[in-house]
Amino acid sequence: MTNSVMKKLFSAPFVAFILCGTLVPMGVIAWYGLTDRSGAFTVENVAAMFGGDHAKALGLSLALSLISTAICLLLAFPLGLLLRDSGLGKKGFMVFLFILPMWMNFLLRTMAWQVLLEKGGILNTILGAFGLPALEMINTPTAVVLGMVYDYLPFMVLPIYNALSKIDSSLIEAAYDLGASKSVVLRRILIPLSVPGIVSGVTMVFVPSLTTFAISNMLGGGKVNLIGNIIEQEFTSSSNWNLGSGLSLVMMIFIVISMALIEKFDRNGEGNLI
Amino acid sequence: MKKKRNDLKKSRASRLGRGLYLGLIILFLYLPIGTLMVLSFNSGKSMNAWQGFSLRWYQEMFQNQEILDALGNTLSIALWSATLATIIGVLACIGLNTMSEKRRSFFMGLNNIPLLNADIVTGISIMMSFLLFGISLSYGTVLFAHITFCIPYVILSVMPKFRQLQNLTFEAALDLGASPVYAFFRIVLPDIMPGVMSGFLLAFTMSVDDFVITHFTRGAGINTLSTLIYSQVKVGIRPTLYALSTVIFLTVLAVLVASNLLSSAGKRRSGPSGGSGMTPKKMIAMALILALCLGFTAKFTLSRGVSAASGSRGELYVYNFGDYIDPDLVSMFEEETGYTVIMDYFDTNEEMYPVIRNHTAQYDVICASDYMINKMISEDLLDTIDFRYVPNIENLQENVRGFVEEFDPGMQHCVPHTWGTYGILYNTAMVDEAPDSWSDLWDEKWSQQIMMPNSIRECDMIAAKILGYSMNTAQESELKEITDLLIEQKPLVYSYANDNARDLMVGGSAAMAVIASGDVLYAQEENEDLDFVVPAEGTEVWTDCWAIPAGAANKEGAQEWINFMLRGDVARMNFEYLTYAIPNTEILDLTDNPILNPSEEILARCETLKNLGAETDDMYSRYWKIFKSS
Repeated sequence: MTNSVMKKLFSAPFVAFILCGTLVPMGVIAWYGLTDRSGAFTVENVAAMFGGDHAKALGLSLALSLISTAICLLLAFPLGLLLRDSGLGKKGFMVFLFILPMWMNFLLRTMAWQVLLEKGGILNTILGAFGLPALEMINTPTAVVLGMVYDYLPFMVLPIYNALSKIDSSLIEAAYDLGASKSVVLRRILIPLSVPGIVSGVTMVFVPSLTTFAISNMLGGGKVNLIGNIIEQEFTSSSNWNLGSGLSLVMMIFIVISMALIEKFDRNGEGNLI
Repeated sequence: MKKKRNDLKKSRASRLGRGLYLGLIILFLYLPIGTLMVLSFNSGKSMNAWQGFSLRWYQEMFQNQEILDALGNTLSIALWSATLATIIGVLACIGLNTMSEKRRSFFMGLNNIPLLNADIVTGISIMMSFLLFGISLSYGTVLFAHITFCIPYVILSVMPKFRQLQNLTFEAALDLGASPVYAFFRIVLPDIMPGVMSGFLLAFTMSVDDFVITHFTRGAGINTLSTLIYSQVKVGIRPTLYALSTVIFLTVLAVLVASNLLSSAGKRRSGPSGGSGMTPKKMIAMALILALCLGFTAKFTLSRGVSAASGSRGELYVYNFGDYIDPDLVSMFEEETGYTVIMDYFDTNEEMYPVIRNHTAQYDVICASDYMINKMISEDLLDTIDFRYVPNIENLQENVRGFVEEFDPGMQHCVPHTWGTYGILYNTAMVDEAPDSWSDLWDEKWSQQIMMPNSIRECDMIAAKILGYSMNTAQESELKEITDLLIEQKPLVYSYANDNARDLMVGGSAAMAVIASGDVLYAQEENEDLDFVVPAEGTEVWTDCWAIPAGAANKEGAQEWINFMLRGDVARMNFEYLTYAIPNTEILDLTDNPILNPSEEILARCETLKNLGAETDDMYSRYWKIFKSS
């Protein structure tokens, strides 16, 4: 009896951190988000998300992050299959090769694209040397999508590969023995069984893409204004905490949605993160 | 027979296809990294031309105190937060496992919040909580935030191992007379060890990789590699960062390859059945990381200990823009006066302001821009300067005194450090006719060749000058016209850039850019085709000043600092380091040219930025957002 009470006490530091590091800050955001500068209650800061320029920025963020999530998924799923089928993954080295860039600071990786894509940068110099027209990609939404895909692709590859490699090969062989075609195996076995991996990959790419401000700042040349940029500016240059908090509250809706998705598809609670 | 050959062909083709696919993705992943590695050995700053092999950037990097400090902070924060998070996480798992199913899943749900929450929301919520409860941002706040987001990773890695545990062995150990602690370390810990280690490694990685949360919770002068890189990328091309990338990449590669190799060697020795519970790979990776961190911090603190010689007259806390005085001057000042200078840095006035207002840290002397000085005076945040102790004030240029009058009537609270104007930097090789008006930036001839500032007040200033309005206008109708004019220009603009505009101009990315006069000399040194003009409509004159916050502990030292900065030889050193105009009559031989010291005729058409008050500020930022999302 006392033993179990003692054991429960072990989780006290954890609960304290949840309280001070998560719940109280959430409360503070809600408090700022639902009041104005004088401290009076208002829903204006939250409603501001759906008016004019904020809605435009949110729309652009949603579009760009959905596109980059889709591209990551389309690149990562075949890659996961290849790594699984070829047995290359078993040796560890190939998988290692695809997630190694994850350990390099993402700002440095984004900077690398700046160097490559800049008008006087390397790609254009090479293109120019072959007499090809210059690439006009830097400072456009395309460049930002490229940066998102590049930065977050490993977060998609890893969970999908993990999910695929856990599928029992005998299941697939059995399907072939029973006369299933490749596409049927893909549709009826591989995809359904890798759903937890896909879901966690999608959230791990979508959430940071949706809220990024660094990538759009570095590759967008100040012309691509995402919702992350707006929120960041409210805290660093405009110093309107109330509006910034209100907008953040809306962003949290997307997080609640992804939590619900994870809950639904990933019952075993492993998270599949790494 | 034929079918078989076809199959063979098909499989060869598909193998080729697979190889191609893998190859392309690998190219996509490694081309940028490879480029940085190659450029890190380039002797010049150019992004596209090979100027000879050199190790110059590596040398600069290892001598750069800022980078070394940031590296030290990154490693120590990661080590501490991963360690503490691991301890807290393992304890939590013990506790959670004794709880009822319902309560456990409740806590596990809470545990998921920081994991799934957007970093920006986590970052700002923690920052606001600290400031709301009067805790100033510091190293400790970053550490707290990192522990908060590291714990969930540990719990997610350790919890499954706990669920697999056989409780019976633990009970048996207790029955045989082992104390619970002893039984835990001998029975439970070995079984959960793989989970503990992957939790630790994951937490360490996440902490090292984090940028957004650190960005919001860091205190004055605390940089991790991420935040340092972010602020340096904004400033321009820094080949030292290419060298840093190469070093980081190779270190990570070495750690991972070594732990792979060592673990497979270990496995062979212990036989196929060995290492069932333990994963030596993780253990080795962990040991290597620890060794690296400890090695670095040992060297780091050692070299620091030597440099921190204590002054006899106490400490002087200076809060300055990053890289805004010649660092040699600090030791010169320390030697002459006997104070120990402790200098912290900020990037923008807006970052500095809340620190002073909320007294989150105490400084004796700060550097701030005109409009911010204006705002701080109106809020009684600045002390007056006793000019009896600042006799060198007589060296101050008279015309700059006039501009100070606009934001500090009677010049009682501040002394100018640097000053300058905004104008158009243009590339004579790309522009046939020199621009002389701001409206040249609206000329369609230069579509995609124009760079504008990426800040509210400067962009608005340019449009306001074209329209003939004051850049401090508080009239909404005027601001609307200003915004419309900027929106009209947007399709022509290549990028909106602040400090990095000069490097992009040097590299020939654009034909015209709006930059501060202080950057012109630097740009011309790198590219002789560049020239500068202050447009006929007039421009913004900015002044960055030294000031003493109200309640400074060492006002005497602060005044000595200001007096020192006004000395002729000091101004000369500062100018040579910064290339920003120092308004000091003793160095007019260096600064007397139309770029750094525009004619009185042009100055007559110039204005300084003024503090507009919260309501007008909100209006400006509202219109800025309309322009930005247009």
